[in-house]
Amino acid sequence: MVHLVGSLRKELADSLSTCSVLVVGAGGIGCELLKNLVLTGFKNIEVIDLDTIDVSNLNRQFLFQKKHVGKSKAQVAKESALQFCPSANITAYHDSIMNPDYNVEYFRKFILVMNALDNRAARNHVNRMCLAADIPLIESGTAGYLGQVTVIKKGMTECYECQPKPTQKTFPGCTIRNTPSEPIHCIVWAKYLFNQLFGEEDADQEVSPDTADPELAWNPEDTAARATASEKDGDIKRISTKEWARSTGYDPVKLFNKLFKDDIMYLLTMDKLWKKRKAPTPLDWQHLENSEDSPVSGLKDQQVLGLWGYCQLFQHSVETLRSQIQEKGESAELVWDKDDPPAMDFVTAAANLRMHIFSMNMKSRFDVKSMAGNIIPAIATTNAVIAGLIVLEGLKILSGEIESCRSIFLNKCPNLRKKLLVPCILDPPSANCYVCASKPEVTVKLNVHKTVVLTLQDRILKERFGMVAPDVQIEDGKGTILISSEEGETEANNNKFLSDFGIRNGSRLQVDDFLQDYTLLVNVLHTEELERDVEFEVVGEAPDKAPPPQSKPEEVNSITNGNKDSSQPSTSSKALNVPLAHVCIPTMSRKVISSGVTHEAAAHIYSRGTPLREAQDVDTLLVE
Amino acid sequence: MIDTIEKEDPVISEEEAAQYDRQIRLWGLDAQKRLRGSRVLLAGLGGLGAEVAKNLILAGVKKLTLLDHEKVTEDSCRAQFLVPVTAQGQNRAQASLERAQNLNPMVEVQADTDKVEDKPDDFFLQFDAVCLTGCSKDLMVRVDQLCSQHNIKVFCGDIHGYYGYMFSNLGKEYSYVEEKPKVVKAAPDSSDGPEAKKAKVDPNETTMVKKTASFCSLKEALEVDWTSEKTKAGLKKTPLDYFMLHVLLKFRTDKGRDPDPLAFPEDSLVLKQIRDDVLEAKTLSSDLLSDDFISYCFSEMSPVCAVVGGVLGQEVVKALSQRDAPHRNFFFFDGRKGNGVVDYFGPN
Repeated sequence: MVHLVGSLRKELADSLSTCSVLVVGAGGIGCELLKNLVLTGFKNIEVIDLDTIDVSNLNRQFLFQKKHVGKSKAQVAKESALQFCPSANITAYHDSIMNPDYNVEYFRKFILVMNALDNRAARNHVNRMCLAADIPLIESGTAGYLGQVTVIKKGMTECYECQPKPTQKTFPGCTIRNTPSEPIHCIVWAKYLFNQLFGEEDADQEVSPDTADPELAWNPEDTAARATASEKDGDIKRISTKEWARSTGYDPVKLFNKLFKDDIMYLLTMDKLWKKRKAPTPLDWQHLENSEDSPVSGLKDQQVLGLWGYCQLFQHSVETLRSQIQEKGESAELVWDKDDPPAMDFVTAAANLRMHIFSMNMKSRFDVKSMAGNIIPAIATTNAVIAGLIVLEGLKILSGEIESCRSIFLNKCPNLRKKLLVPCILDPPSANCYVCASKPEVTVKLNVHKTVVLTLQDRILKERFGMVAPDVQIEDGKGTILISSEEGETEANNNKFLSDFGIRNGSRLQVDDFLQDYTLLVNVLHTEELERDVEFEVVGEAPDKAPPPQSKPEEVNSITNGNKDSSQPSTSSKALNVPLAHVCIPTMSRKVISSGVTHEAAAHIYSRGTPLREAQDVDTLLVE
Repeated sequence: MIDTIEKEDPVISEEEAAQYDRQIRLWGLDAQKRLRGSRVLLAGLGGLGAEVAKNLILAGVKKLTLLDHEKVTEDSCRAQFLVPVTAQGQNRAQASLERAQNLNPMVEVQADTDKVEDKPDDFFLQFDAVCLTGCSKDLMVRVDQLCSQHNIKVFCGDIHGYYGYMFSNLGKEYSYVEEKPKVVKAAPDSSDGPEAKKAKVDPNETTMVKKTASFCSLKEALEVDWTSEKTKAGLKKTPLDYFMLHVLLKFRTDKGRDPDPLAFPEDSLVLKQIRDDVLEAKTLSSDLLSDDFISYCFSEMSPVCAVVGGVLGQEVVKALSQRDAPHRNFFFFDGRKGNGVVDYFGPN
């Protein structure tokens, strides 16, 4: 005899009041999810988010009001939810889920974990914690009109890392420094420039002309021309950009003339570059001064200024940033933030000046912010739909019906079979997944004489393989400890080369992350032949390069599931991404790839290399 | 209490630009301006109504009228998130007003405690769009007919347990725009880069293409004739949710309420009987719709309200902004299977 409590069977309704669930993230999806959980009857909910409320959240994160801007998302979400369900038992943490306090024991408290995240690093981490604790995880993501939900259960389904996800799009150094051809190249350059002048200087973020550009074949006659061009205000290469800027007192006009006149003239001497390309045209401050600018009306941000307008914007923002840096003291470093007006102004101005030089249409601050800040457009309704689906999948799990769980994709338009929401059977785990396989193993190609231990730790193990606190032992018969997760213990090793420890072709490293209960065997493949700007390659994957120009928007088969992909702000990464183009996909269900990119990135939605195989439509497998 | 919005101001204020930033980046400034000039009527503040209200208020319409004559019961507090737990006995629209308004002070939110059926015809004419939830079939048909005569967009929707639907009628000649990627032709002085010498699709450059679509009335949509062999052949591709909708609407008409979990045994029998009657009247076999749905169509499930409310809310936004292809003309959601289908029912 069926006994209902509201819409639910009584047994299910009862279990909701006793179980505990964890919601990771209290943003767009998180707010909607919290509301659904509480109204459905879940009594014990823990929610965690490290972020605070921003005004741009208010169009969709409905548990927050204007008066809450600046406060903790998790905390305010809890308070608002309690308003309409005072009997719910909600615990809020204003914290990062990657904090070691949230260990496997912590995760085991819950019958279910639901992600509502916006970055890959956290998703990877929660994936591993749930595998370690053997707790089902419901993963989800949205971008614009698109969304996806899926269920991860150890041993039964793919884990989050079973399928390779496309990494951030990067551009070759020479494109950024010498031959930009798209606005995005100029924007990346402008962000590098910000760091070189005001922030943390990074050898991978050079802005000066690149004389080692492979396209160039130097003739001796050219040397004289180059020498003259580089004489102005000191040798471009030997003094750091920041030191040079400081020596001029951050004089905006001097900066302007060096970056937009002298350096461009230098580029012009590299004539091989301009044989098949339109050559850049240098700017001169004196000639531009006081030229007419058309009056502006309407939203300031959406206007495209004239050239002199951007000159002035450059000047003003440099002066403001200069005072900011002077206030902070001698070795001050600013961190670029799209929501910091002078920082955003600076990038807008510098990028536009460069775009003009390279014959590109200039862009409004609004558009530059999208690209520079990697903003993913977001609305309430998409998040509402996805959060609803998350709870429905959760109920299946709690009813003991995990086999009926599905991956569900939300399209913008119905597919050929009239489906707007497409459920797909969950895939089994990948046999050689480097996370959930029984003895995970990878092979990494690098140059043992040129790679330092710190790079191994930060770029490879943490960034690429998602570890939070790796411990590395060399399998050399002696168990030599290369990296210890204990602070300071192996700091002395950081700047030594791997070869200094006897690591060579064929060496094996045992890497453990005890928090994630994860052990990875890394095989080292030594090579002297890596591409420019590439520090390492994971064997078995397509190289991490910018793809060729897209020709068919219909081939989209991924959506972005997030943006922040490392704990560092977006400027310190080489990669920036093109905003999503929202197109109707009149095809069968697609496999969704999540790509995490730093801070609100719109990840590149066109897959590179071989398209991932299409998810199977449930109807073809079920008997109706 | 509303913050001042510049009247008839073609320019969006800096405050609105900051708050709506993430959606303006999706659907553009023009669409946002149209939303901001729209007036919407929402009837029924149950689970689905609350979701639609939230979505429209967050989107930034000019005015939203919450129309509901029902009183808040103990169940109402569990069903939706706008009604405070202390509001029992109060009118549901009025009880929802404060929280609804707080979602976005820039929208004018109003509560109206009348019955929909008691409203005179010209009441509806002040709105750009009307959204009906929890209404009887006859009422919906009447309002739909009246509104479409005056070019007012009509939306209907309901939730029954794990199932939900939405219907839309945007008129016989609804025009809208779609954003398509621009194909850039090769030009000697191409202005988006020195290298743009070949024709290519630049994902950053788009163009707006104008389109039209035609919608039928709710009456026509519900009274599709299934007697001919041709239509019967089309049954294989027809979502059965359509027939389930008929059953549930008839239950509502006959009983004056929706299936009640507290009366599960009796109501299940009634539902079975109505299922048989409805299918027979359409000259279809009662096997078409199995008994399965019966125990899953009681009450309004919050996550199902969220899904349907999200789709419905977005359809209203699209229609008010006249941007992007509308779903034509039904959306059916099956919360047990996770299936969401768009299909057209009506005369060809």
